[in-house]
Amino acid sequence: MKSGIIFDIKQFAVFDGPGMRETIFLKGCPLHCPWCHNPEGQIADPMLMVSYAACIHCERCSAVCPSPDDCILCGRCIPECPLGLRRIAGEVITAQELEKRIRKDIDIYKENGGGITLSGGEPLMQHDFIIEFLDRIPDIHKAIETSGYASPEVYDAVYSRLDLIIQDIKIFDTHEHERIIGADNTMILRNAEKLKHGDKPFIIRIPLIPGITDTEKNYSQISSFLQGSRNLMRVELLPYVKAAGAKYQMVGRKYEPVFFNPEQDPVINTEIFEKRNMRCIVL
Amino acid sequence: MTERIKEMKKFFVTDKRQKESWQNKTDQYALARTMTGKSDIDRAAIRLKFVLDNETPVVYPFEKIAFTRTIQTIPELFTEEEMQELSSKFHIHEKGDVCNINVDYSILMKAGFAGTKQKLEALISNSSDERKKHYWSLQIDILDSVLSLMKRYVKKAEETNNITVRDTIEYLLEKPPVTLLQAMQMFRIIHFTMWAGRNYHNTIGRFDQLFYPDYKHDLDCGVLHDSSTLELVEEFCLSFNRDSDLYPGMQQGDNGQSLVLGGYDLDGNDMYNEFSDIAMQASLDLHLIDPKINLRVNSKTPLDRYILGTHMTKQGLGFPQYSNDDVVVKGLIDLGYRPEDAINYVVAACWEFIIPGKAMDIPNIAAFSFAESIRKNTIENLSNVKSFKEFLNLVDMQINKDANALLDSIKEVYIFPAPFITLMIDGAVEKAKDISLGADYNNYGIHGTGIATAVDSLAEIKEHVFDKKDITAEELIKGLETNFESNERMGNILRYDKEKLGNDTESTNTLAAHILSTFAAALKERKNERDGIYRPGTGSAMYYIWHSAELGATPDGRKKGEVIPANYSPSLFSRVDGPVSIIKSFAYPDLTKVINGGPLTIEIHDTVFRNDESIEKVARLIKTYIDLGGHQLQINTVNRDTLLDAQKHPENYRNLIVRVWGWSGYFVELDKCYQDHIIARIELAV
Repeated sequence: MKSGIIFDIKQFAVFDGPGMRETIFLKGCPLHCPWCHNPEGQIADPMLMVSYAACIHCERCSAVCPSPDDCILCGRCIPECPLGLRRIAGEVITAQELEKRIRKDIDIYKENGGGITLSGGEPLMQHDFIIEFLDRIPDIHKAIETSGYASPEVYDAVYSRLDLIIQDIKIFDTHEHERIIGADNTMILRNAEKLKHGDKPFIIRIPLIPGITDTEKNYSQISSFLQGSRNLMRVELLPYVKAAGAKYQMVGRKYEPVFFNPEQDPVINTEIFEKRNMRCIVL
Repeated sequence: MTERIKEMKKFFVTDKRQKESWQNKTDQYALARTMTGKSDIDRAAIRLKFVLDNETPVVYPFEKIAFTRTIQTIPELFTEEEMQELSSKFHIHEKGDVCNINVDYSILMKAGFAGTKQKLEALISNSSDERKKHYWSLQIDILDSVLSLMKRYVKKAEETNNITVRDTIEYLLEKPPVTLLQAMQMFRIIHFTMWAGRNYHNTIGRFDQLFYPDYKHDLDCGVLHDSSTLELVEEFCLSFNRDSDLYPGMQQGDNGQSLVLGGYDLDGNDMYNEFSDIAMQASLDLHLIDPKINLRVNSKTPLDRYILGTHMTKQGLGFPQYSNDDVVVKGLIDLGYRPEDAINYVVAACWEFIIPGKAMDIPNIAAFSFAESIRKNTIENLSNVKSFKEFLNLVDMQINKDANALLDSIKEVYIFPAPFITLMIDGAVEKAKDISLGADYNNYGIHGTGIATAVDSLAEIKEHVFDKKDITAEELIKGLETNFESNERMGNILRYDKEKLGNDTESTNTLAAHILSTFAAALKERKNERDGIYRPGTGSAMYYIWHSAELGATPDGRKKGEVIPANYSPSLFSRVDGPVSIIKSFAYPDLTKVINGGPLTIEIHDTVFRNDESIEKVARLIKTYIDLGGHQLQINTVNRDTLLDAQKHPENYRNLIVRVWGWSGYFVELDKCYQDHIIARIELAV
C-alpha cells in the first residue's frame, strides 16, 4: 500500500472543475515557478508553518524548542502558541485513508455535479499513490490540476484514470521556459498533445505573469498550438495577484519575484482564443 | 432601473433630501404631561392622533406613491416619573410598544379606511357595552385623523400638480384599493401610521401573497405590464428607505422592515408566483438594505430560485435569508399552532417565525445562555463524576434549572395599547380587544446563545477528561477559575482542538442535538402568564454580546469575556474543515424542536461569486443545507469591516477565508501587506 503526503483538503472548491468539489493538495513539485503562491506545496516533506503576520512575539514557542537552528518537526511549540499560529503542513496518508476521508461527504459533491480534484504541488510527482487512490474511487468524478510535467508513461497512466484534466501551459517557448522555471517544457507539451488528441475533456490554464506569460508571442503560440483540440472545454486565464507571496514568510522563506515586476498589471487577451473558436474566461 | 427610480433613489437614499421637510425636534414628554389621569388606551389614541394631526403633507413631483414623515419626535405615552413607576411594577419589553409582530394588512385593505369606519360605527350603534363602544370610538377618531391627513395630501398633490398621487389618495378616501398602485399607496399610509404610533419593527409579511390579487387585476385589465409593474414595485421598495432614519433601532437598518416571498401551502403547492419574481428583481436592481428579503423554501424548491437568491447575496447585503418550510411548519405545528396558521408563517424583524394577524407572540422576550450553564456545572460537578454520561446528566439538570429560573423571571408583562394596529388583527375588532392584551397566540420566544461554545466545551471535556484522560477535572476547573493562567498550554490545546461544532464530528453533532433537545424539553413543560407557551430558539440577537461579557472562561479554551458566536454558528476561533462540514453539523440536530428561529450564518468571500458557474455552486450549497434539514440560513459576503477587525483580532477570525488567485487562504494567515491589499481590493469591488 502506497502512502502519499498531502498538505490540505479543501471543501467546496468552486474553481477546480464542474460542480461542487473537494480538492486534495499533494505536496512536492519539480518546478520552481517564481510566482508560485503555494511554497508549502513545493517541498515534498512535512514542514512547520507559522503565521508570523499575527505573531505577538511572546516567545513561548522558543522557550520549549529543543532545536532552534534546525526544526526537527517535534511539534512541541504548537500548543504553546496562544494564538494557534503554528502548524505542521504535510500529512502522510494512505490511499485507503484518503478514500475514507473523501467518502465522508462525497454524496453531497456527487449530488451537486461535482467530485474530487487533485492539486498541489504537482500531483503527478506522487503518481503511484494517486493511481492507487484513483483506482479506489471509480464511482466518483475525478479531475486534476497539473503542470503536465511528468514522463509520458506516468502521464498516460494517470490520464486514463481521470474524467477531466486541468493543465497549465505557462510558457510555450522551450528556452524561455527553462530560463524562467528551471525546467524544459518538452514533456509538458508532449502531454498537452495527448490532451489535444485524447477523448477526455480538458481545460488549459495560463497564469498571467506580467512580461512573461502575457506576451503577444506566448499568447499566439499557445492559441495556435491549441487550435483544433476536440475536447478543449475552455482556456482559463489567471491574472497574477500581488498576494502570491503571502505564504513564504510562513515557511521561513522570502518571496523574491524574479524576472518580472509584480506591481505591473498583466495583459488580458481572451480575443485571441475566441477568434480561433475556443472559449476563454478570466478567473 | 428607470431614470425616475434612479432619481428617486438619489433623492431619498443618497442625498436624503426628505430631511429638508423634517419638523424640529420637540420635547418627547410634553404630550404625556397633558395626559395625567387618562387611561393607557386613551393615551395611545391621543398620541397617534397628535402625530397625524401635526403632520405636514409632502408631495414630490416625481413620485406615484406618497406619504413622507416630517415629525421627528414621537411623543411618549407616559412621563418619566410614570414610566419609572410602570417599570418597577411591570416587565416592560423593549420600549413597551407593540413591536415585532406581523399584522394582517389585508383586513384593513379589503375594507378600506372609510369602510372600516362604517363598520365601527355600526358596531357602536348595535352595542350597549360602554367599554367596547369607547374603544371603537377611539379607533374611529384615529381613522378620522388618517382620513384628514389624506385629504391634506390630496390638496397638496393638487398644488404640486401630481395628478397620480391626488387621484390615488382621493380614491382611497372612499373605497378600498383595486389596482396595484392603490394597494401600495394604501399600504404606505398604513405603514406610515403604524410608525407614527411608534409601533416599530412590525414586518411587511407575505408581500407577494398580499399584492398578488391587485397585480393580477392590473394585468388582466391591461393597466400595467411587466416593466411598469417592476418600476412601481421598485418605487414601493424605495418607500421603506424614506423615513428609516427616524425609526428607533440599534443602528441604521435595524428596523424590522423584512418581507417574505414564496412558501408552500398545506397541499405542498408552491406559492412563489410571478409577483415574487418581480419583487426579487426590484431588490436586485435597487441594492438597498430595505426591505430585507426572506425566501421560504423547502426540499422541493428548484435550484433556479436559489441561484436568483445567490445573485442577491453576491451584492453583500446579507440577504435573502432562507427559511425551510419543511422544518418550520412542522416545528410550529408541534408547538401547537394550527396547521392553517403555521403554513402562513412569516419572519419577524430578524428571524423569529411568527403568524400574521393572529399573534401577540413576543419572540425575543429573553435569552438563555447555554455556555453559562455548562461552565457552572463544570466548576461545581466535574470533579465529582465518574463518567461523561453522568456529567451530561448533571448538565441536563442544570439547563433545566437555569431555563426554569429564566422563565420565572418573566412576569407581569405590560405592553402599551395599539388601537390602530388592532384593526388588522383577526377577530379583534368585534371583541374590542386591544392587541397589546393578547391575540390567538400569546407565546414567548426564548433565544439560545452560545450553542457552539457550549457544545465545544462538552466535547473537549469528553475528549480530554474522560476519553484521553490527558487533563484532569481539577486542572480544568482551576483553568476556568484562573482564566487559564494556571495552565496556558492546556487552554491552547482546548482552544485549537478539532472537536468543534461545525467540524461534523460525531461527538459535537450529537452533543448539539442533545443540548438543544434538553433546552426544548425544559421549556415544553411551562406555560406563560398569558396562557401561551415558551418557544425555544437558536437565535442570539444582541444577547451574544451581553452574555459574552458576563461569561467566564469556558472548557473550549475561550477566555473570560471573549465573544461567543452570534446565532447558530461555529465558534469564532475554531478552524473548521469548510462549509460542507458546517452545514452537515448544523443540520444534524432536529431543528423542529427549536423553532423560535435563529439562522446558521456563514460567510463567503465575495470573489466566490465571481461568475455564473460559481454562483450556481453557492446556490447548491444553500440548497444542500435546506435539503439536509437546516431550518434557516443567512450568508454574508465578507466585507471590509470584518477584515479590518480580523487584523486587530486574528484569533477571532480563524474561519475567514479569502480568495486570492486560483486559491483560497485564511485571511489571518496572510502577511499584513497582503491583508491590506485584499482590503483595498474589497473597497474597489462592488
